[in-house]
Amino acid sequence: MTSAARSDGNMQGLPSPALLELKNIEAMYNGIVLAVKGISLAVRQGGCTALLGGNGAGKSTTLKAISGILLAENGEVNSGEIVFGGERISGVVADRIVRRGISHVMEGRRPLSHLTVEQNLVAGGSTLKSGAEARQRIEYVYQTIPRLADLRKRTAGYLSGGEQQMMVIGRGLMSKPKLMLLDEPSLGLAPKITEDIFALLATLRSDGLSLLIVEQNTRAALKIADTAYVMETGRIVMEGSAEEIASNEDVREFYLGLDKEGKRKSFREVKHYRRRKRWLG
Amino acid sequence: MIEFVNSVANGVLIGLLYALVAMGFVVIYRASKVFNFAQGELIVFSAFLMWAVVIDRQLPLWIGLPVTFIGAAICGYVLDRLFLSRLVGESVFSMVMITVGLLILMRGLIIIIWGAETRAFPVVFPLRPVIVGDIIMSQALVIGGVITIVLAFGLSWFFNHTRTGLALTAVSEDQQVALSLGISVRKSMSLAWIIGALISAIAACVYLSGRSLNLHAADIAFAALPVALLAGLESITGLIVAGALVGVAQSLAQYYLDPWLGLNIASVVPFILILLILLIRPSGLFGWKTIERV
Repeated sequence: MTSAARSDGNMQGLPSPALLELKNIEAMYNGIVLAVKGISLAVRQGGCTALLGGNGAGKSTTLKAISGILLAENGEVNSGEIVFGGERISGVVADRIVRRGISHVMEGRRPLSHLTVEQNLVAGGSTLKSGAEARQRIEYVYQTIPRLADLRKRTAGYLSGGEQQMMVIGRGLMSKPKLMLLDEPSLGLAPKITEDIFALLATLRSDGLSLLIVEQNTRAALKIADTAYVMETGRIVMEGSAEEIASNEDVREFYLGLDKEGKRKSFREVKHYRRRKRWLG
Repeated sequence: MIEFVNSVANGVLIGLLYALVAMGFVVIYRASKVFNFAQGELIVFSAFLMWAVVIDRQLPLWIGLPVTFIGAAICGYVLDRLFLSRLVGESVFSMVMITVGLLILMRGLIIIIWGAETRAFPVVFPLRPVIVGDIIMSQALVIGGVITIVLAFGLSWFFNHTRTGLALTAVSEDQQVALSLGISVRKSMSLAWIIGALISAIAACVYLSGRSLNLHAADIAFAALPVALLAGLESITGLIVAGALVGVAQSLAQYYLDPWLGLNIASVVPFILILLILLIRPSGLFGWKTIERV
């Protein structure tokens, strides 16, 4: 553990209570592979939490455990507890979790590629009570993301990556979520488009939506987040406020590629064995 | 010339019947990516139910039809609940094997409940043929053809424009995404099986109206298979075109090739077509091609 880790971990001193809390979660695939080994984290009401870490750290599995999609992948949460808005949601099936107000925007965008943008949005509104409510919500999505209104009749599969990412975020908004889980919203997008996506997320946040973002683009994620966690091989190795994490020497070296003077350094010079020694030793 | 026109017209009608049967396949396939080999048995099941009510019990048709439709819907729902919905998330292969098992199971059950004898199916549509100029057509097939076309456009509209339909379409494109949007994959599959079973009840009425009924009636599902493949397994309106093509091919083969070759080549035509489709264009004429952006 480094100095930044654990010092502010219990969320005390933050103004609003936790909306989502994970308590010592363990997640498995096929009853054998332990992908998440006892992690605890929290997203406060109206907050934005970033979950950082390299490939295979268990970030996506954590999100899938929260949204219940893990169950559909032969996975399960085999110990620990997930609490959302004061209610236990571990073991609840995915479609009920959406109804409770968690929307999961999955990795790799995953548009319903043979349908139009508007049809994608309608499908996203399946949990709403009436067709009228769905139409209202579509108007809200078009207002929030005006670009989608121009694309409404276009086939989703032929949109650009950035447009698809905006569409799936819009689709995730259809179910009127309180919390949105975003898995690598910047994956495969140009830096300019990534900026647009994060600007959109900032707007959503100011509208009152809480966010839990999994990102490999550490810089962009730390800019928008108030709290951050760093995961390595299924464990949380560091947690704290976004500023603390951003100024942590190890994060700066391993994730932001900066040296001690704050200059960019080549990732070739980053010694991976050092990361392993410091965090997992 | 008139024989040619007659062959084509009747070919189209037979083809539309195949399209109706194939529609049952397609609806279930879209929801679960499962090719239901027991589709023909669903048809025979509804047909025997109809026979039991209308012929055996001597009840009027207006009771027989709703009983058959409700019975078929329940049958579809129960099959899904008992066997298929348990396998959501498992490999598609095991689900397809389950439907092969269902085929055998349902045959057995039908024999146990209703016996293996050939029965008379009630006359649902008038027997008098429809005559247009010199073309003679079966009234059941003409009405059936109209039902098929209306049903195809209706279902296509349902799948593309209603919230429930789009939820089903979402399940057919990507089950995980559907789950993440709060769509219950299990409920969608049940609904698809209910619709699939209802379509087979309609197909039973069109196909068997006024004819004899035994277990061989299930074979029409295999004749309808190339129609589903040619249309592409995802497209519902495409079934109309695909059905007409297969029907006309079969009918022309029957009229021109059979006397010349001296054998019944026509009944093999659909299966030759399956091989050709799989070799030349496995995604069918109107099926979803994988969209890949570069």
